[in-house]
Amino acid sequence: MPREALLSRTFVELADTLVEAFDVVDLLTMLVDRCVEVLDVSAGGLMIVAPEGGLHLAASSGEATRVVELFELQSQEGPCLDCFRTGEAVLNEDLTTADDRWPSFAPVALGAGFRSVHALPMRLRGLVLGALNLFRTDQGAFQPSDVLAAQALADIATIAILQHSATLEAQVVNQQLSTALNSRIVIEQAKGMLAERAGIGMDQAFSQLRSYARNHNQRLIDVAQSFIDGTLATTKL
Amino acid sequence: MSRDRLLRILGHLGARDGAQPPGTARRLCEVCAEALDVTGAGVMLVSGDAPRGSLCSSNSVSALIESLQYTLGEGPCVDAYNSDTPVLEPDLADPATPRWVAFGPPAVDAGARAVFGFPMRVGAVRLGALNLYVDRPGALSDDQHADALVMAGVAARAVIAMQAQAPPGALAAELEAGSDFHMVVHQATGMVAAQLDVSLAEALVRLRAHAFGHDRRLTDAAQDVVARKLRFRDGLPRNPT
Repeated sequence: MPREALLSRTFVELADTLVEAFDVVDLLTMLVDRCVEVLDVSAGGLMIVAPEGGLHLAASSGEATRVVELFELQSQEGPCLDCFRTGEAVLNEDLTTADDRWPSFAPVALGAGFRSVHALPMRLRGLVLGALNLFRTDQGAFQPSDVLAAQALADIATIAILQHSATLEAQVVNQQLSTALNSRIVIEQAKGMLAERAGIGMDQAFSQLRSYARNHNQRLIDVAQSFIDGTLATTKL
Repeated sequence: MSRDRLLRILGHLGARDGAQPPGTARRLCEVCAEALDVTGAGVMLVSGDAPRGSLCSSNSVSALIESLQYTLGEGPCVDAYNSDTPVLEPDLADPATPRWVAFGPPAVDAGARAVFGFPMRVGAVRLGALNLYVDRPGALSDDQHADALVMAGVAARAVIAMQAQAPPGALAAELEAGSDFHMVVHQATGMVAAQLDVSLAEALVRLRAHAFGHDRRLTDAAQDVVARKLRFRDGLPRNPT
């Protein structure tokens, strides 16, 4: 398939995933594989910043230990770290002359059979999330059109991750909202039940439930549920 | 979604010239009605696929629209949530395709001639629906429709943002003020369960059956139970003599 068509298809597939629920790891892996294919490189990986700082591998194109190791090394030193820190692309670095720049990383990368390396920043406005890292076994330079395509793919990965985070937070908060609403319902039902059984008003019923919870160091929702279930007698309240 | 549209709506939300304080659910509803140029707006929250109540309503008719949907389980917001697409009814009194047999007439009587429901979501997380009504029949303009889509997204994010501030296990205070989660129905359910010595589920069924049989709203029947004007005994509800 011609490159333009493959790129277009990639963008459309990625855009689709932004609308529906999706698995972010699957998405990133697909992205990296597609990068490797489209850009004719030998290996690729996405390194993302972790909450505590520092880069970790989010997805890579191959599982060969040697490849994975090359990414793991980069938490300390290497093109990804440089790219992440500056927010600028690292392009066409010849590994045979990179010993000064990356004394630990360069020899290992060379030993794995790679000759050139590139890193594109994953960034959205001022925020840099990590880097898209690409390796080639030759020393051929990336053409400007290659750089544009690689950066576009890195941009989509960034948006996908940010979208995923927003959805993830929304899921968590929505779950909390659901739980809070359900708890309130149980508490109101318990109030009604106690008001009826004890022949008291709704406010007083609430007060009694709350006092019991406090005096017995229990959550109000648990007291309410026990009362409804019948495991807590009216007389105790 | 046009950036200018979004910015304009966000501007409305932050402005301090409204009746309601900024950053509250009430203000959200006020802005929905103003910015969309409809007669009234309301936000219906759904969780566990069941309507839970209204987050806010800009007027009493919007409050009624939500309350009807809560008790009847049908209406534009219910459909919008379930189908995950906007639901548009430009003439509730004379719809092109008949629907909402129970919801329609009381809503029209109250003054809602055109009703619209827009699903509210953040990504794949569905929260409920935005309900809009106009006191004259007619479709939304293209601009209103486009703005409503943006507004529904903004409302969804606002709900998440408000709840995110709440202490664990609790409903956010900003969500409670101005909301109606029909607590009176739950209180009444508890009372009826005790009166009849039945489960809560059965108590609710009996309460609904009574309301239906007497052509009353569930919430009104519930109010009467809580006010002790209506008791259930031996399976037959009666008024205390």
